[in-house]
Amino acid sequence: MTTKMFSDYGMVLVLIVLCIFFSLLTLNEQTLQDSDAIAGLIERITTEFRKSDIILTVGEVNKDSAPFAERLREELVEEGYDNTRVVVGIPRDLRLALDEIKGKGGRVTVIATSGDVPKWAVIERIGADYPEFSGCKVLAPASYMWPDFLKWSNLLAIVDRIVVIAVIAIGMTMVIITAGIDLSVGSLIALAAVISTLVMKKMGGLEASGSAVLVGFLVGTLSCGVIGGFGGFIVSRFKVAPFITTLGIMMMARGLAFMITGGFSIYQVPKTLPWLGQGRSLGVPNTVILLGVLYVAAHIFMTHTRLGRYIYAVGGNEEAARLSGVPVKWVIVFVYVISSLAAGLGGCIQASQLNTGTPSIGVMYELYVIAAVVVGGTSLSGGCGRILGTLIGAFIISVIQNGMNLLGIESYTQQIVLGAVILGAVLLDKVRSAGAVPAFLSRKNKALD
Amino acid sequence: MNRRNLIRWCVLGIVSAVFAPSCSKKPDSKGKIGVTCMDLTNPFFKLIANVMQEEAAKHGYEIVALSGELDPAKQNNQLSDFVAQGYDAIFLNPVDSKAAGEGVKKAHEAGIPVFTYDVQVTDDKAKDLIVSHIGSDNYQGGRLAGESMMKVTGDKGRIAIITYPEVTSCILRVDGFKDYLKEHNSKLEIVTELSGKGNRSDGYSVATEILTAHGDIVGIFAINDPSGLGAYSAVLKAGKSKQVTIIAFDASPAGKQAVFERKLYDSPQQFPRKMAKGTVEAFVKYLNGEDVPKKNFIRCAHYYYEDSASDKSRVAEQW
Repeated sequence: MTTKMFSDYGMVLVLIVLCIFFSLLTLNEQTLQDSDAIAGLIERITTEFRKSDIILTVGEVNKDSAPFAERLREELVEEGYDNTRVVVGIPRDLRLALDEIKGKGGRVTVIATSGDVPKWAVIERIGADYPEFSGCKVLAPASYMWPDFLKWSNLLAIVDRIVVIAVIAIGMTMVIITAGIDLSVGSLIALAAVISTLVMKKMGGLEASGSAVLVGFLVGTLSCGVIGGFGGFIVSRFKVAPFITTLGIMMMARGLAFMITGGFSIYQVPKTLPWLGQGRSLGVPNTVILLGVLYVAAHIFMTHTRLGRYIYAVGGNEEAARLSGVPVKWVIVFVYVISSLAAGLGGCIQASQLNTGTPSIGVMYELYVIAAVVVGGTSLSGGCGRILGTLIGAFIISVIQNGMNLLGIESYTQQIVLGAVILGAVLLDKVRSAGAVPAFLSRKNKALD
Repeated sequence: MNRRNLIRWCVLGIVSAVFAPSCSKKPDSKGKIGVTCMDLTNPFFKLIANVMQEEAAKHGYEIVALSGELDPAKQNNQLSDFVAQGYDAIFLNPVDSKAAGEGVKKAHEAGIPVFTYDVQVTDDKAKDLIVSHIGSDNYQGGRLAGESMMKVTGDKGRIAIITYPEVTSCILRVDGFKDYLKEHNSKLEIVTELSGKGNRSDGYSVATEILTAHGDIVGIFAINDPSGLGAYSAVLKAGKSKQVTIIAFDASPAGKQAVFERKLYDSPQQFPRKMAKGTVEAFVKYLNGEDVPKKNFIRCAHYYYEDSASDKSRVAEQW
């Protein structure tokens, strides 16, 4: 029991270490843009400048510096600085504003701003391009250090990038626990994405309602489920190795996805399609909610239902399971159906995130999914594994990919690192099962209880 | 227990060793620009990324170049990461002209300017959000290929086209080629158009099949150098290198050499260096508040044997 605890804890530990590691490496200057920062700027302006001076408050379009500039102007006007103008936009807008003031014969004394605005070339060159404004001061609030990795928007990006793989990994965990493997999931992503968007296109395309999206998702996911049932049937009835069966399905599904679309993306989709992959409910991204619900449900299913225990039993020792009355064949069909349904759902999420059905998506995803499962502590030889471990595994992979992108590491190097981490995790798995006898026993107990 | 820890620390050690060189920040850097392209294993895009790096460095910016690996979902994740990191700009070469729209919208919502190069974003909502696009004038390049084809064949006989209809720029090349023939009342007859998927081995297979079905053709227009060189191998194998003239596209290093060896008659030239420089220039203009042209097309140029003979870049195996 204690060894088991330790192995769970071990992967969480790796995740935490990675997070700390990337946080330290992505420490970066961030500009303060709160009320204190505004108050600070106002204090400087009121002590240094006259109320008749022309002041520009500048913000970048769609960035935090935009509301900052608006509020700064309001408060300056309240203080009696009536010649304050706000410019929110791109560098072009600032230049136009400067030209206009110059045309009217005015003289800009202060540019108060925040964010990346002080880096704009138009501001750096203000002395050269506008000799009339010489002596113009650029004021910006002080900066502080905070890791880019731990920014809220980045944490959401980490979930966003992994949600498809994490959803599919639920099904894959079950398949691998039965000592099987499912290579078809990557192609099924593309197939589901293509089928679901095609249904939406046929139901009215851009003008179609939300129900078309729902129908599209259902058709896309269920058709994958049917294909999974077919694969599971071949594996269980004819004892064809899962590797070969799903390899064949992988090729067929990919070909089918290309055939259906003629190789092109389907983009005539309803406006509500992005809701699932990009929308929010009560401020939480829908993908996060979906991921949470699915993992809790799968965890309860695997630990608290008879079918869940059957899945462990089949992987632990198929013959023993059969003799003790487990319907082995049906359990195997079941896990492949679940895996394919999960892949289908993943494809729908992907289509929603990209707002298109593209037949080329999902290439190599089966390997990332398998990697997430194995890194999460599920043994490829079957019989043991934990759904929540898989979630940790998926996050480890996502954090590594995200962190490396943040650091700007070249794509080739990224592949090497990712490969090394996966290899390390499998080694860990081997050492665990060979070296720690108690863990080995506890696993078998789990399979038979 | 010890062994387990040992392995764990080994993995972390390897990871740190890989990351350590990349985390030293250059003190004079003004900021970072994220670049994501179709495929960095393609020397064309690798060169563009390298030139962008040099050019951006002149203005104090660092380039982070990632490969979309021909996967639109992966590229969108990279765009999200650029956005999360708050980069100063994004230079995008979309894997999929439609799917990249979502990433472009995200960047726009975060106030990050997006510049595209080589391939345009065609998503209805996203295409107006692009600050500026720079790319080859593929249509005009296709017309050059048509001109060469009429010249070399004496405007008579049957010809074939090896296409790549998944890629917009290649469609434009074929359109330009055909329009030129049509406008000049060409007597050339196009017997077939088949996809060579833009690579050497598919170009070889499809050209073999074309030669089997249409043994009397006098010319092949292939939409890029790899498929053109594949077609050359097929023509050579069929013993028809005297009868069939091949015109490709790109004037890549391999294409230049092939023109020099008279395997290809012409390969209308693209200018990746200009493309890279133009993108960085557009960004600098943007920062300076200048009016940035929405679209900027670089004209292609013929690349004949005469050009190759004196071309130092061919010898240096450069674009």
